[in-house]
Amino acid sequence: MNKIILHCDLNCFYASVEMLYHPELRNVPMAIAGDPENRHGIILAKNVLAKKAGVKTAEAIFEAKNKCPNLIIRKPDYDSYTYYSNQVKKLYYEYTDKVESFGPDECWLDISSSIKYFGSIKYIVENILRRVKEEIGLTLSIGVSNNKIWAKLGSDIAAEDSYFVISKLEDIENLPANDLLGVGFHTYEKLKSYGLYSIKDVAYSSQDYLKNILGKNGETLWYFANGYDLSKVRRYDDDEEEIKSIGNSSTTIRDLYDLDDLKLVLNILCDSVASRIKEAGLFYKTIHLSLRDKKLKWRTMQKSLCENSDLASDIFNTALELFEINHLDFKIPYRSIGVSVSNLSNKKETSIIDLNGNIKYSLKEKKKDVAIYDIRKRFGYYSIRNLRSLEDEKLASFNPKDEHVTHPVSYFGR
Amino acid sequence: MKRKYVDVICLNDQAGNVTPLFLIWNDNRKIPIIKIKEICPRASLKVGGSGLRYTCVFDNNRIRHLFFDRGKWFVELQDNML
Repeated sequence: MNKIILHCDLNCFYASVEMLYHPELRNVPMAIAGDPENRHGIILAKNVLAKKAGVKTAEAIFEAKNKCPNLIIRKPDYDSYTYYSNQVKKLYYEYTDKVESFGPDECWLDISSSIKYFGSIKYIVENILRRVKEEIGLTLSIGVSNNKIWAKLGSDIAAEDSYFVISKLEDIENLPANDLLGVGFHTYEKLKSYGLYSIKDVAYSSQDYLKNILGKNGETLWYFANGYDLSKVRRYDDDEEEIKSIGNSSTTIRDLYDLDDLKLVLNILCDSVASRIKEAGLFYKTIHLSLRDKKLKWRTMQKSLCENSDLASDIFNTALELFEINHLDFKIPYRSIGVSVSNLSNKKETSIIDLNGNIKYSLKEKKKDVAIYDIRKRFGYYSIRNLRSLEDEKLASFNPKDEHVTHPVSYFGR
Repeated sequence: MKRKYVDVICLNDQAGNVTPLFLIWNDNRKIPIIKIKEICPRASLKVGGSGLRYTCVFDNNRIRHLFFDRGKWFVELQDNML
């Protein structure tokens, strides 16, 4: 039997919750933005009027104000967002037990088996739209399809407070390829350089061709464009998935201008990641480094070690190596930096000698890591710090381990 | 219209239901709630906010909505009543 999957996307979620409690904000351009003092001053969400004025998510407050001088800026209220996100999810559960959230404002619902009970897809979709609006006071767009990827596409196409059905490729073939989940800026540029502009182009090209251009992701993309994504919508009582990766990132208090700045922040992040790895009792093999420059462009790179490790120093050295082998420089200063490790397992490597016959110093490093971890556990985070962090105390004064915020995981991270 | 948070005296019964009995007005007057006609989750589009909406009948037979939103009660109030 064909699956019926809905993708429910709450319209400008953060802004809508704000407007729910302050109806007067409905008639003025308004945006939610982080705290500019901590350099988190970017637009997180905006209402329809602000969108019309050209305000975009993720741009700086001053950029937004240039476009729209009378823009009202509100601070985010994460407690409310969590509350409403849960309320909406509770409502979804009245229609199916297969609800999988993707961030706070998006959910996939698999209603294949509830249609018999409720009568029709139309009944369920219209009921969800009406009830969320009446009972909770928020509006949503729903995409209806037979797979998760097309359903998500449908919710992007659907206007506010309405739904859009995608049943065959012809419904979406003229959309640009970057509307597909998994096609970001760089992938899209690459696709364009091969003459693949629309979803149709991607869907009709051969799987091998895409694999040649984009590697493994190309293959996935072909499946996505053709709607062959077979992944299931998770049930509410499915076990929380095992941890796939652990990472920390930070938007630093000032831009990073040279290698010393980078090392300083990197050191703190690596310490944090290593101690979280230790708490989970895991070992990693792959290290990812992501950097965002002042122009807000992200770059991510990764490298695998020969053997599993749980040391902070391995993350640190590999991250620096990644920076060097990718020939990165500081022509454009960096404003955010993130480190994560993946390929996790609970198997420890026992060999003391590496492939080149060198004796590894990991035992010494390991003792150091454990000692730092113990001291911090007993006397607090700032009781022991790296000497490097004294070079610029302000830049180093953050504690990623305890102050970190969890962001939604990526589709591929599952 | 404006949203006005109010004090309410409630009965929490053994089954876990919460029934508002009196609404306490500005001048400390206790206004009895005679009957509750309907309880349903609703958003108030007029004054903003959402929660469980109690449709209450007061002693002068006037019907008002009382909203229970995350532990707080509010009423919808005409501007001239403030």
